[in-house]
Amino acid sequence: MSPYLAVAALFSFVSLLLALPLVPAILELHRKSDAMPLSVIQQNAGEIRHFADSFRIYIKRLEPDLQRSFSSGQAATGTLPDGTNYMVLGGPDEPIPTQGNACPVLIATNSDLKTPPGITFLKDIYAGRDFAGGENNNYRAILANGNIQLGPSTCVLRWLHASGELSVGSGCVLQGRVSSDCAVRLQRECTFLRLNAPFIATSEPENSGNTRPDPFEGREFSPTVDRVLHDGDFEIKADEIIRTNLVVRGDLRVGAGARVCGSLKSCKDMVLESHACVEGSLISGRRMHIGPHCAIYGPVIAEREMFIETGTRCGSRAKATTVSAPHIEVEEGVLIFGTLWARESGRVVAKA
Amino acid sequence: MIYVLYSIVLLICIYTGRHYGFTLNRLFGFQRHPYIDIDTADWPALTVLVAAHNEEKVIANILEALMTVHYPADKMLIIPVNDRSTDGTRAIIDTFVERFPGRIRPFHRTGGKPGKAAALKDAMEIVETEIILIFDADYLPGAGLIRQLAAPFFDPEVGGVMGRVVPLNVDTNLLTRLLDLERSGGYQVDQQARMNLRLVPQHGGTVAGVRRSALREIGGWNEESLTEDTDLTYRLLLHGWKTAYQNRSECYEEVPETWKVRIKQIMRWAKGHNQAMVTYGIRLLLGRHRATLRERIDGTLLLGVYAMAPVTLLGWTLALAVFYQGIAPLHGVIALLCFTAYAALGNVAAFFEIAAAVRLDGTPTRIRLLPLLIMGFVVSIFSVSRAALSQTKDAITGAEFHWDKTERFRKVAS
Repeated sequence: MSPYLAVAALFSFVSLLLALPLVPAILELHRKSDAMPLSVIQQNAGEIRHFADSFRIYIKRLEPDLQRSFSSGQAATGTLPDGTNYMVLGGPDEPIPTQGNACPVLIATNSDLKTPPGITFLKDIYAGRDFAGGENNNYRAILANGNIQLGPSTCVLRWLHASGELSVGSGCVLQGRVSSDCAVRLQRECTFLRLNAPFIATSEPENSGNTRPDPFEGREFSPTVDRVLHDGDFEIKADEIIRTNLVVRGDLRVGAGARVCGSLKSCKDMVLESHACVEGSLISGRRMHIGPHCAIYGPVIAEREMFIETGTRCGSRAKATTVSAPHIEVEEGVLIFGTLWARESGRVVAKA
Repeated sequence: MIYVLYSIVLLICIYTGRHYGFTLNRLFGFQRHPYIDIDTADWPALTVLVAAHNEEKVIANILEALMTVHYPADKMLIIPVNDRSTDGTRAIIDTFVERFPGRIRPFHRTGGKPGKAAALKDAMEIVETEIILIFDADYLPGAGLIRQLAAPFFDPEVGGVMGRVVPLNVDTNLLTRLLDLERSGGYQVDQQARMNLRLVPQHGGTVAGVRRSALREIGGWNEESLTEDTDLTYRLLLHGWKTAYQNRSECYEEVPETWKVRIKQIMRWAKGHNQAMVTYGIRLLLGRHRATLRERIDGTLLLGVYAMAPVTLLGWTLALAVFYQGIAPLHGVIALLCFTAYAALGNVAAFFEIAAAVRLDGTPTRIRLLPLLIMGFVVSIFSVSRAALSQTKDAITGAEFHWDKTERFRKVAS
């Protein structure tokens, strides 16, 4: 082989090797197989009721069956266009179809619905009126136009929405989005992720919080724009009144009975002692401990953990708010108006 | 000469480590989204400023989108800041004012200093709320975006908020696809990692918000700045205010579709950034203020990002010179590795960052375009260096900066 040819061959070979990584790129450029804009949800604002609303639309196609069964008292079965098998029940005492301990079909009824204990429901449930679930059941999703009562040790996997009040028995596991248009009442040892209702009570029934006076009722706050920035730890003394927003770069302790007419932020841990009252928001960069009988008007956010003691209330009947942290423990007797959102784990614990 | 080269290699290594650090944090670290869960609250009254200079192609789309967002209508006022437009922008805005009485208050600016910062500064005269959100006219906010951008202001330490920008016209040509990758790396990895690590997320001046009391404290909009967003980031930082980045607050934008427009855009960014570096660099690193040590270091590195382009070019030139002069540059395997990696691309970590971002976005097929990104990289490095040279020349001759609006490509809304 002539030296010129050898050089040309070497040059061609090296060029080929260099071009090799560009082949998939040029093919992708030509084919545009992944050239769509990144999917940004434009219309859904992350509403907690999104799945329930979608299911309500989905279930509309069962309306003729629902009305017929409700008036005749006879069950009806069939298959929806997406292949989902369903059973429309004629009344609350109608038996639920099961295979072993599992119910494989979508259950819908225009009347009340009661489920026996120990069943795993593999499809969604729709109740036109009240829903009462037996203990130790597992649900995929429930929508009820009335109240929902979940028996002890129940598990909800995806979502649940009650147009009426939701009562959750002890030891229940609520995964996904759980909402009510009236109220959510949680018994001890319930675990949760995302809850929303006009009020959420971790209740002793005789002291559910619903009857306690609202310290913010009828009051209009004009938020202050003043801000004090403090490097290091800080303590607000007991019964002290602070009339500014306060940002603390270290730990923050709010003494018993202190009142803050503004918002509080601690970059590290935050502790509120009993009967403290904050008219703005509470933000902690790490852990937050809210003592008994505190009142907070604005959003309550902790970036790591949060513990809320009995008698505390967040938000008000007129102005709902959000309480959020990756890990939340709430004692019995706490009242939250709005959203309670534990990103990783939330639990109701017994009063100490 | 060799010591200059050593210094450049050291700088490149620092930036490389920073890129890798950010990427690994995004892939394996704790992710901070502290305000994204605030979905119920007594929402504050706010004003949305829409900066518009000859935006007849796009202004109707953003006003239409803002009218449908999920935010209490009585608490949101929209102010289109019509900055000396000579096209149909004014007429379109006035049509919306008639259609939505009480919800839009136009600010028609017919004179004054050119530039977005100057226009925003003038518009502040009619802003009455504590929270101000800012959009450029080519953006399309989704239903939940306004609430998401308002939520961080419940934190009294937050002075500014920045959302994520997502290109809409991705499939137009090679440039838009490369810009899509760059944006992905910049927001999905860079900005979020800075948020995670409590460093300095950058205010982008659009899909963004600012607290009026913070703005007042730092002296308002700086109309001398070419990039009012970078300027704002650093002035907030120096006064102890945080900028919060909301990675899940996404908003579509239109990216440049021609290289000419892209080069103009990046040159303006480079000049503005370098301007901020000169103004705030030393003060941020060594001055007495409320920024933490990690914010000082990261903020300084961020200020130097655009200056690294001419530095890299200088490094390439010096490396060649050293080679042809026969000077043994460094010793041992480490030196060889440093030089090989450095000489190959300047800083490959940025490519790693983009690859990770694309994976996090769940669009892995577009990663195939990564080798072509070298084109964008080369264009950027020369454009940014050109901007730095022209800026230096302007500084010597005393010539004034002038502001170039980025051209839009969308078809006029019918």
